[in-house]
Amino acid sequence: MKFVAQILTVALVCLALQLFLPWWSLAIGAFVVGYLFAMNGWASFAAGLLGVGLLWFGMAWYIDYTTQSILTTKVALMFPTKNVPLLFLATSLIGGLVGGFASLTGSAFTYKKRKW
Amino acid sequence: MKIFKISLSLLITAALIYALDRSWGQIPPLGRFLDPFGGFWQNAERNSTSSTTLEIPGLTAEVSVYYDSMMIPHIYAQNEEDLFRAQGYVTAAHRLWQMEFQTHAGAGRISEIIGAAALDFDRTQRRLGMMYASENALKLMDGDPIAKKMVDNYTAGINAYIESLTPKTLPFEYKLLGYEPEPWTNLKCAILLKNMAKTLNMGEKDFEMTNALHLFGKETLNLLYPDMEGVGDPIVDNTGKWSFKPVQLDTVPLAVPSELLAKTPLEKPNKDVGSNNWALAGSRTATGSPLLCNDPHLNLSLPSIWYTIHLNAPGYNSMGASLPGAPAVISGFNDSIAWGVTNAQRDLVDWYKIQMKDTSNNEYLSDGKWKPVRKVVEAFKVKGGATFYDTILYTHHGPIVYDKSFHGESEQSLHAFRWVSHDPSEEILTFYKLNKGKNHGDYMEALNHYSSPAQNFVFAAANGDIAMRIQGRYPVRRTDEGRFVLDGTKTQNEWRAFIPNEQNVMYKNPERGFVSSANQYPADATYPYYITASSWEAYRNRRINQVLATLTKATPADMMKLQFDNYNLKAAESLPTFISHLDTMKLNATEIAALKTLRSWDYYNNIDSEGASYYEAWWDALRPMIWDEMNNDKLALDYPTTFTTIKLIREQPTLSFFDIVSTPAKETAKELLQKSFSEGVAAIEKWKAEKNKSPRWADFKDSYIGHLLRQEPLSVHVEHGGNHDIVNANSRTHGPSWRMVVSLEKTGVKAWGIYPGGQSGNPGSQYYANMIAYWAKGKYFSLPFVDASQISSRSIAVHKLNPSTK
Repeated sequence: MKFVAQILTVALVCLALQLFLPWWSLAIGAFVVGYLFAMNGWASFAAGLLGVGLLWFGMAWYIDYTTQSILTTKVALMFPTKNVPLLFLATSLIGGLVGGFASLTGSAFTYKKRKW
Repeated sequence: MKIFKISLSLLITAALIYALDRSWGQIPPLGRFLDPFGGFWQNAERNSTSSTTLEIPGLTAEVSVYYDSMMIPHIYAQNEEDLFRAQGYVTAAHRLWQMEFQTHAGAGRISEIIGAAALDFDRTQRRLGMMYASENALKLMDGDPIAKKMVDNYTAGINAYIESLTPKTLPFEYKLLGYEPEPWTNLKCAILLKNMAKTLNMGEKDFEMTNALHLFGKETLNLLYPDMEGVGDPIVDNTGKWSFKPVQLDTVPLAVPSELLAKTPLEKPNKDVGSNNWALAGSRTATGSPLLCNDPHLNLSLPSIWYTIHLNAPGYNSMGASLPGAPAVISGFNDSIAWGVTNAQRDLVDWYKIQMKDTSNNEYLSDGKWKPVRKVVEAFKVKGGATFYDTILYTHHGPIVYDKSFHGESEQSLHAFRWVSHDPSEEILTFYKLNKGKNHGDYMEALNHYSSPAQNFVFAAANGDIAMRIQGRYPVRRTDEGRFVLDGTKTQNEWRAFIPNEQNVMYKNPERGFVSSANQYPADATYPYYITASSWEAYRNRRINQVLATLTKATPADMMKLQFDNYNLKAAESLPTFISHLDTMKLNATEIAALKTLRSWDYYNNIDSEGASYYEAWWDALRPMIWDEMNNDKLALDYPTTFTTIKLIREQPTLSFFDIVSTPAKETAKELLQKSFSEGVAAIEKWKAEKNKSPRWADFKDSYIGHLLRQEPLSVHVEHGGNHDIVNANSRTHGPSWRMVVSLEKTGVKAWGIYPGGQSGNPGSQYYANMIAYWAKGKYFSLPFVDASQISSRSIAVHKLNPSTK
């Protein structure tokens, strides 16, 4: 549950930041959310990756849909893969990776291993 | 341990951001580029437009911009200052990246954008004196109050747009290449015009002709490369009626340096650069009012070279094609007159052999005295590399393009480059005055300001006048002067005088009821000045005149049909001869079938025509086979023209040039035609096997409109007929870059136009290439030349530009 909450929070915070700031501001958002949620490394990384990845995918899909793919198909052909789904995957993955590592960094400050 | 984890994770995050925020060679800054909130995704435009109000600094009053259904802006300003400011803003909003890229190319600055691969191109541009020419042009622009008003405001408008950009709204190509626009300057307007002049003037072949003279002798030279081919009508057919007293120069022996000249790396403009224009008098039209047409043939590219615009302010109301980067309309009309341009082809470029005192290159010889060389150091920023410095040697003739540091063969072989476009000029005033012109007198006055690149200006007026004037600044030349490299040590070889404007080739309302030009020779040998050119057109011009001469009740539809005319006069004149030389006993089954296709061909290079494919493939194999003597790896040499080649096949089939040098046999035109026919058919068979379809002409030719960055996905392949030497002059990469038809009716001027592209330069816009499909079918859009109240009801968007309150 906390994991899903973190994904949603990352997506929302990064959405707000990216409306005004450059793309790399998502790292700040993911970092802060990772810090606050204080999950373990893997979970925090995955939450950042999925949160930003989904955000980027969603926004890219929305633009693609409302513009009838007018630019997506051209840009996809400019990459060696020449494939539209792969362009979406690359977009999601690149945002997601930065989000994931930023989130991981944030959680590394606050996550405490349970003692048993 | 924890601190290690934190550091490692932080480091990876930072490294990722760094790596994804910059370009790596050809790879764009992936993070920035793929970010859907600011990257390329944001350049995708929705299929709807909105009206808006914008604030533009420096405007004095509100300007209304109405976009019609083709996204053509109709600008209504309250004074000319605001008009040009709005033109700059609106043009930049659609074409900024292209404008900057083209002026970077003109200025030799492409290395800054794409890296060291462009350094050779950049150095050539600077060494040809492109900046020297542009700075000279700027001086005159700044000195003239009208030109200064135009350019200052146009520049300010572009800069207002640049300042309004955010990382999100940056044009697509900037995001792709990872850079940002710099402020526009008046100098960039000059660079743009000089770069166009270079495209139109650099077909010169002085090195090639000098070598041909030395290798083959004068007699053969004149056989292969005659100054005039004596075919068709000159543009101004005015035999013996030249009533002025020409400027006379003392005759001096032509001093051509004796050595052979190496091939230069200078990329020659494609020979398919050319144009058509014509005007019919009311006596030949259905309405009784003149019709005027223009279609300039240039390298077809995206974003398009032209931008259609309607400019309106008190005392100013003009519409037509503008060049993004220059104020005013270039080929267009207003409520009283219309005009259009084709290239005049004249040789306005000379090369002078320079004799230096010693290898320090500090002094050179001129009339027995040593003159100082001016050394200019040019800096070239290189993307991903160190700044490169190049020293260019300037003589009083102009810059030395090749020397030991740049493709020079030897110390001994230095040539200074003299180009009429190096001189100060004020072409921008010509277009201003044409835009505002009311009659023939205004047209004549406007052209008096025009120097280069020399153009055939067609004219028609609603009052019934039609005219043609071959305007430019032409040196007075002695016979053969300008054809060859000249001895630069004697000032007597230099340009001593220019032909006075009023003695240029021109006429008004000729008896035949039409004027036309298609890059053919301007006047016959009775014109009192010696004229030479890179080449004269031999086919389009005759076809146009043949068709125009038959028209008595011409309509705009007839004009559109003629601009789209695919009749291959060259084929009609040559194919029967070619076929007559074939020995059908030697043909295989495929070749027999090909011959049958050719025999039944109607000489039209239409989209579906297979005969055209076989003919063009034959010709493409034949021409280099004949002129194998000119295929020299080291020496600069050029092929004779198509017309001369065909003439020699018909009249002198046993000429020694028909022998293939590399074979022991002694070939004549007959053997070459047989051999090239087999090669041509083989080329088509190979194509058929690869493509697995029949060789329709449009498929075989594969017309291509390429993006300026040569990015295939941003380019368009199009089915289109025609070819070079045909009125519809679309070869694979070149062709009608703008088609315009204007009917100058007294009840109101009507006009139609189209170009192979779209108003928007943004590949993410539906207006990026939306006209191409219509262009390819020979269709036109009506250009709504109406007042603000009428256009507002049919506009798709209105932009109100207001003076900035800041």
